[in-house]
Amino acid sequence: MSSPDGATRSWLVKAVLSVGLALFAGPAPAFDYHLKPVAVAERTWMVQGRREELSEDNGGDIANAAFIATGDGVIVIDTGSTLSYGRALRAAIATVTDQPVRWVINTHHHPDHVFGNQAFEGAEISALPATIAALKRDADSFRTTLYQRLGDAVRGTETALPTRALEAGESRFGDYPLRLFAFSGHSGADLVVLDPATGVLFTGDLVFHHRAPTTPHSPGIGIWREQLRQVRALRFDVLVPGHGPAAKDESPVVETLDYLDWLDRRLTNGAASGATRNEVIQAPLPERFADMALVRYELTRSVSHFYADYEEALLWADPDTTK
Amino acid sequence: MAGYLKPLLAVLILLGAPWSVAEEAREDPLGSFMWERYRERFLGDTPVRFDSRVGIQAPAFAEDSGQVPIDVDASDFNGRFQRMLLWVELNPIPLVFDYRPLSDGLGRLSINVRLEQSSAVRVAVLSDGVWHVGSTRIEGEGGGCTTPGIAKTEDNWSKDFGRIKARRFGHESGSRVRVKLSHPMDSGLIPSTRPFYVEQVAFVHGDEPVASMTWQASVSENPELALTLKGDAGTAYRFQARDNNGNEFDHVIP
Repeated sequence: MSSPDGATRSWLVKAVLSVGLALFAGPAPAFDYHLKPVAVAERTWMVQGRREELSEDNGGDIANAAFIATGDGVIVIDTGSTLSYGRALRAAIATVTDQPVRWVINTHHHPDHVFGNQAFEGAEISALPATIAALKRDADSFRTTLYQRLGDAVRGTETALPTRALEAGESRFGDYPLRLFAFSGHSGADLVVLDPATGVLFTGDLVFHHRAPTTPHSPGIGIWREQLRQVRALRFDVLVPGHGPAAKDESPVVETLDYLDWLDRRLTNGAASGATRNEVIQAPLPERFADMALVRYELTRSVSHFYADYEEALLWADPDTTK
Repeated sequence: MAGYLKPLLAVLILLGAPWSVAEEAREDPLGSFMWERYRERFLGDTPVRFDSRVGIQAPAFAEDSGQVPIDVDASDFNGRFQRMLLWVELNPIPLVFDYRPLSDGLGRLSINVRLEQSSAVRVAVLSDGVWHVGSTRIEGEGGGCTTPGIAKTEDNWSKDFGRIKARRFGHESGSRVRVKLSHPMDSGLIPSTRPFYVEQVAFVHGDEPVASMTWQASVSENPELALTLKGDAGTAYRFQARDNNGNEFDHVIP
């Protein structure tokens, strides 16, 4: 080293500066998310996640969050993957409204939608009863996965379970009424929220948009498709999906249905013809999915989730069996 | 290039010595530090080359590390090989199978394996005194061999123990046979369990084995195998297997 004194001095300056900054600003966030609320209707905003899988680069910012400034406080719908994301969301909300966050709704129990809950102390956190049960069951393994995939961005993240159980029908948050629908097709317990005053429909992950649907806890493609037909029949003006951009029409529902129809056919034809899992995964993808993110990735996962069931029904149902 | 090398290179080219290509074919395309160890253990002193005619296909990542599907395609050898080995470098039990195609076995097969962690996967085909090797890599979060309770693990395996299901599909070069056998395939690596797995598998025509494999406990629970055989739909085959406890399994291929 040519100038040890100079190097030491510059290190000292940096150390003093960072201690000083830490005293002013508190501990540095584990990840810098740059969240931008986008207005989708009167008093309603969404914060769009990236159409990617969990990674150190995105810090888990892959799912949509949304919020309604009711006049009497803010309702937050889904809170992201980490404590830092939750805090960033809280700060982003404060840039567009002075109202305090009084309510948090988790549409379902998946890790990219619930692990920011912890940042909203003081707010009432609510979800469907089956979502609360599923989160209790899976929270530890989800957190392990988050640490493996996101690294430092997860620092400090703990599970904050919802305390209020929601049920389908009209539900009030303060005096603000929302219509709730209890579905199950994506994760086993999927809440869809309609704000009758603004016409905004928050679908959670029952609907994906320009991003391939994920299927780890789905009770079955058939059930999911049936419920999407029910969602399609609802009257709404704006749709906020769980992943991907908002829309002013039903096109995200149509797209999700189209993908699931295709997935069902692909698995059906594969199992009936004796195709191997790799053959089903690697066969060419339809051109109409070119703009949809992560199709091959999610197809690979869905084959693992469902193909054995399709084979049970179509390949092994009627062979002569020893035993 | 130094001027004096040019004539040397020209001589080599004239002699038809593709030394640079051969050198490349001997170098591990995955650059794995475990390659040499298992080359020595499984392939011994026999010459080795990495060969694109040995295809190996697997998902880029393991969604369920207990059931990772691997397809091998060495159909360019037209069944003219003596052995085929599959191993997962970073599994506690690396070897998956040792396949002898005998008279009827061909070079296309598919099997589900366990994956303990992210690893290189190798398939080696012995033909004309050379091991031809194909490689791929699978990302995994682990637990395939040593963690109980992987998704879909059947609690009550004894109910279906020994059940075999089989199907046959026409294939351009004979038949593709699919077999599913209900067996726990316990590796013995989970505390308080003993190794309990199928170790011998054969397809039999008449009384003669016409293709055979030995398996290790890196084959998944309730093993699934797809294999191409030379015989067409009219050729009678039986599937026979034996586990390390002496249980024998026998099933007619439809």
